[in-house]
Amino acid sequence: MDFFLQLFSDPVGFYQSHELLIAQIGINSLLAISIFVTLFSGQLTLANVGFMAVGAYTTVILSLHASTPLVFNIALGALLAGALGVVVGLPVLRLRGVFLAIATLGFGEALRFGVILNLPITGQGQGLKNPDADPLGGVVPILVALALVAYLVWRLGSSKLGQAWAAIREDELAASSQGINVPLYKMSAFVVGALIAGLAGGLESHINFFVDPTEYGTTRAIQVLTFAVVGGISNVLGPILGATILTSLPEVVRQAQDYRDVINGVILILIIVFRPQGVLGGGGLALIRPRWWPRQWTLTRARTPADA
Amino acid sequence: MPAHLLTLSGVTRHFGGVQAVDQVSLEIETGTIFGLIGPNGAGKTTLVNLITGYVALQSGRIELEGQPIGGRAPHQIASLGVARTFQTIRLYKQLTALANVLVGMHSRRKHDTLQQLGLLPVFRRGQLQRVAEARQLLSRVGLEPERFQNRRAMTLSYGDQRRLEIARALALGPRLLLLDEPAAGMNPAEKDRIRELIEELNAEGLTILLIDHDMRLVMGVCRQLAVLNFGRRIALGTPAEVSADPAVVTAYLGTQAGEEGATAAPGAAGPELEAPVGAALRVADPTESVHPTDAPAAMLQVRELRVGYGAVEAVKGVTFSVDKGEVVALIGANGAGKSTILNALSGVLRPHSGSAVFDGLDLGTAPTHRIVSHGLIQVPEGREVLARQTVRENLALGAWSRRDGRAVAREIEELMERFEILGKRRNLAAGQLSGGEQQILAIARGLLGKPRLLLLDEPSLGLAPQTVDLVFGVIEQIHAAGTTILLVEQNALRALEVAGRAYVVETGRILLTGTGEALRQDPAVRKAYLGG
Amino acid sequence: MAQQLLNAIFIGSIYALFAVGYTLVFGILDVLNLAHSAVFMLGAVITYSLVVIHAQPFFVAAAGGILASAALGLVVEYAALRPLRRRQAPQISALISTIGLALVFVSIVEQSKPGSPLAWLWRDGANSVRFPADRVPNATYHVAGLTLEASKLAILVVSILLMLSLGYVMRYTQVGRALRAVAENPRAARLLGIQVDRIFALTLALSSALGGLAGILFGVALSDVSPYIGRDQVELKGLAVIVLGGMGSIPGAVLGGYALGLIEAIAFIRFGSNVEAGVAFLALFLMLVVRPQGLFGARLRERL
Repeated sequence: MDFFLQLFSDPVGFYQSHELLIAQIGINSLLAISIFVTLFSGQLTLANVGFMAVGAYTTVILSLHASTPLVFNIALGALLAGALGVVVGLPVLRLRGVFLAIATLGFGEALRFGVILNLPITGQGQGLKNPDADPLGGVVPILVALALVAYLVWRLGSSKLGQAWAAIREDELAASSQGINVPLYKMSAFVVGALIAGLAGGLESHINFFVDPTEYGTTRAIQVLTFAVVGGISNVLGPILGATILTSLPEVVRQAQDYRDVINGVILILIIVFRPQGVLGGGGLALIRPRWWPRQWTLTRARTPADA
Repeated sequence: MPAHLLTLSGVTRHFGGVQAVDQVSLEIETGTIFGLIGPNGAGKTTLVNLITGYVALQSGRIELEGQPIGGRAPHQIASLGVARTFQTIRLYKQLTALANVLVGMHSRRKHDTLQQLGLLPVFRRGQLQRVAEARQLLSRVGLEPERFQNRRAMTLSYGDQRRLEIARALALGPRLLLLDEPAAGMNPAEKDRIRELIEELNAEGLTILLIDHDMRLVMGVCRQLAVLNFGRRIALGTPAEVSADPAVVTAYLGTQAGEEGATAAPGAAGPELEAPVGAALRVADPTESVHPTDAPAAMLQVRELRVGYGAVEAVKGVTFSVDKGEVVALIGANGAGKSTILNALSGVLRPHSGSAVFDGLDLGTAPTHRIVSHGLIQVPEGREVLARQTVRENLALGAWSRRDGRAVAREIEELMERFEILGKRRNLAAGQLSGGEQQILAIARGLLGKPRLLLLDEPSLGLAPQTVDLVFGVIEQIHAAGTTILLVEQNALRALEVAGRAYVVETGRILLTGTGEALRQDPAVRKAYLGG
Repeated sequence: MAQQLLNAIFIGSIYALFAVGYTLVFGILDVLNLAHSAVFMLGAVITYSLVVIHAQPFFVAAAGGILASAALGLVVEYAALRPLRRRQAPQISALISTIGLALVFVSIVEQSKPGSPLAWLWRDGANSVRFPADRVPNATYHVAGLTLEASKLAILVVSILLMLSLGYVMRYTQVGRALRAVAENPRAARLLGIQVDRIFALTLALSSALGGLAGILFGVALSDVSPYIGRDQVELKGLAVIVLGGMGSIPGAVLGGYALGLIEAIAFIRFGSNVEAGVAFLALFLMLVVRPQGLFGARLRERL
C-alpha cells in the first residue's frame, strides 16, 4: 500500500526511490512490445531474448573496444539484431504455430550456448563487465525510447504494413486473396520485433555493470511472452501494461516476492483461460468503464483506421 | 482487349490418386456471369483454388487476358485483379467491417508506412479517401456504413458476413470476381438479395464466376454454365441447354441400378405418372407428424428439431420418424441440412429446440457414447475410416462400446468372410483402400457396434457408378438381415430405390414425404435438385 | 571413450522416457505440454521426500512418486487444457497455459523450506540434494574396465521394458487402438462411442507417469534432485528429442532420445562441455528448419 500512497502523494520522491524499478519496467515494456509486434502479425516467436543479447553484447563490446559514442553503439546493436532477424527469419518463418515457437526458442538457446558461451570476445560463461554503465543516467533514455517506440508501433497499426499484419493474423489464406504478400509481411514483423529487442538489450546493458549470459535464456523469453499475453495484444498499450503490472508486482506486494512465480503462473493460466484477449484486450476496460464514460474514449472499441 | 477474360485449357490437378480436376478447359467472356456447378466433390472449389493460385497447377494453362497466371502465388494473382470469396466465410473476424474492406484495398494502396508515422492530418488524406470508398463499398453490398462499419466482422449475421466478404473482394478493384457459394446457408429472401447484387455488379461491367448449389440462383443469373463431375467438365452451355442435358441430370440425381442416365431422369417419365402416384404424396406440414401411421411405437421419433452452428440455423424444425425394420431416406441437395440432422441425432451437435427420442433415450441431451451403446450408430459422411489403422483394427474399434470380446472376434471374422474385399485386405492400412472399399469398411465397422438403427450419411459420395451399385447392394443386404436404416443421400434416385419411405429436405425443412416409389416419380423431387 | 558412450546410452534412456510422454500428449491432444518437465521434477522431488522425510522404502516411494505424477497429469488436463478445449482456443493457448502451470509447480517447490506450509513436500528450497546412498540400492560393477552402476543399468532395463510395453499397448490392445483413433480423427473416434475426453485424461496420466518415472531415475542416477532439474535439464532437450524423432511419433521419441544422448557425447568428446550444452538446441533449430517432420518422418499434424 505504501507503494501507491507514495506514488500519488509524492510522485517525485517515488520516482527517485524507484528509479531502477522504473528503468526495468521500461526495458520490459520494450521487450513486450517487440514480442507484441510478431504476435500482432499472428506469429508466436520466442527469439526476442536472443536478439536482445545481440543488442546488449554489441553495445558493451563496442564501448570496451572502440571509442564510439553510446548512441551509435546502441543503434548498431539494434541494427545487428535486425539483420540477424532476416537471416533467422528466412528459414524459420515457414513454420507455424508451436513449431515456430519451438524453433525460435531453439535459436535463442543455440545462440547463447553455441556462440556467446564460446567466443572470447563475449567473455564466454563469465559474462562481460561494463565499466561505463550508468544505472541512474540510463532511466531517462529508456523512457524516451519507450515513448518513441510505443508511438511508432501505434502509428504502424494503421499503415499499410500494420493492416497487412492484422490481416495475416486473422486469416493468412484470406490475406493472400487480397494481394498481401504473406511471407514478406511476416518477415517485416519479425525484423521490426528484432530491432526493438536489440534496442532494449542495448539500453539495458547501459544500466547494468555486468552483462550476464544467463539473463538471456528461456526463462526470460517466457517472461516476456507473459507480459504481452497478460496485457493483451489488441493494441500497443497492452504489452506495456502487462510489463508494468508484472514487473512492479513484487514491489507492490512485498510478501508476494517469494511467491512471485506462483502468482505469475496463476495469472497466466487465469488470463489464458478466462480472458484470452488479455487485460486490455477488446472489451477489457468495458468491465470497469463507468456508465457516463463516452464509448469512443475507451480503448475497448475495436480500433479502426477511421479513428486515425 | 481479347473477348475472353479467363481461359483455362487442359487444367489438371490430382491429390494422391484422386483426380480432383481433370483436363478442364473453359473460356470466360469479359462481362459475363459464368456459372460452375456440379455435385459435391466434383472439383469446383479445387478449380477456383487453381485459378487463384491456392493450389498448384499440375498441367494445363490458365490465362488472364492472354497472360499466363498458372504457377503464380495467390497474392500475385489477386494483384492482377482476380478477387474471390471463400466457401466457408473467411473474414478477418476480430477486425471491424470497415477494416475488412480497407484491407481489401491492400494491393491498390501506396506504401504509406512512413507517412502514417507523422502526426499532421495532411498525411492522412489518403486514409480519409480510402475510408470514404470503403463506406461506399459497404453500402454497395447493402450494409449501411453507419450501422455496420464499426462492428467486428464476427458479430455480423451470417448473411451480412457473406455480403461483407463480397465488399472486401470488391475493394480489390477486380476484373474478375469468383464467388464460391455466396448463397450457401441463406434463406430465400437473402438469396434474392444476393442475386440482385450479383446482377447489379455485372451490369456495372464486372465479370463474375459463380459457384453455387442453389440451382434456382445459378440458372437464374448465369449466362453460361459449365458442369463438373468427378473433376471433368461434363457439360457446357446456356442454363436451358445444361438443365436438359441427360449427363447433368444423371450427375445430380444419380442413376438407378442397371439403367442408363437419361432414362432414369424422372422428368422424362414424370407427366404421365404424376397423377396416379400423386395420392401417395403429401406436402409435409411441419406442425403435424408426417409419419403416415403416426405409430407411437416408432423407434426414432424426431419432433420440431432445430439445429444450427452458431448463429446459422441449418435445420429449421423437422419432424419425422423411423420404425423398426424400415429403411428411411432423407434426400435433398447439398447444404439442405441432412447431415446436420444426423449429427444432432448422434449427439455431436446439440439441438436449439425440439426433441429426438430413440427407443426411450433423449438424443438431445445424451452424450455420444451413450447414444452409441444404446444402438444408434452413425456411419459418417466421407467415411472417416482411420486411415493409419488396419482394416482389422478399424473393425475392432467398431466394437468399442461392447464388452463381449469373444463374440466380437467371431463377428469380425464373419464380416470379413461376407465382405471379401475386407477379408483380403485385413492387414492393410485403411487409408490404402479405394473409396468404395472404405465405405464398405465404414459400414461393417458400424455393424460391429450392434446397431438397432444405423445412420448412413452419404454412402455414395464421390464413388464411381459401379461402386455405388456395390455399396447399395451392401445396404440392401444388411437391411434384409434385419437392421433398421436411416439413409441420407444426395443420389436421390438410388436412395429412393432402397428406401421404403423418404423425406425430401430443402433448406433445413422437410418439403415432401412419401413412399420411395412415389417420390421417385415425382417431378417436385427433380425440381428440388435442379431448380426446375 | 567407451565409458562416454555408455553414459550416452544411460542419459539417452532418460531423454527417451521423458520424451515419450511429451510426444504422446502432442500426438493425441495436438498440444505441447510444457508442464511435462515440471512433472518430471515433481516425480523426483516427491520420491525423495517420501524416502527422506517420510522414511518410506525406496520402491514404495518410487511407486508413490509415479502415482503422484499421474495425478499431476490430470491436474494439467483439468486446469490447463480442458477449459481451453471447451472454448476451442487456438493450439498455442495450451502452450501458454502449461507454461503457467510449470511456473507454479517449480516455484512452489523452490519456496518450500523448513517451516513453510509445504515442508512435508520439500525442505531444501532451491538447493540440489541427492538420495542418501544407504537408502537407494546402487551397487557398482566393474566390467572390462568400465564402471557400471546398478542404478544406471536399471534405467536402461526399466526404460526399454516400459517403452516396449507401451509399444505393445499402443499396437495390440483396444485401448491403444482407441488412443491412436483419437490421435488421428477425434470426430470419427467419438462416433464410434469412444469418450474422447476420457482418452485425453488417460493420455495425460500415462504421459505424466512416464515423465515422473524419468525424473526419479534421473534423480537417482545423476544424484541431483532440485526444483530446476526439469526446467534446466530436460525441458528443451526433450523438445529437441521429439523434434528429432518427429513430433507425435513414439518410436521417433525413443530413437531421438538415444540419438541426442549420442550427439551430446560426441560433442563433449570433440568440443568440450560448453558445446555439449548447446548442441541439443542447435539440433532442434536445424531439424525444424531442414526437416520439420523429424528424422523418422511422422506426418505433421499442425492445424492452420
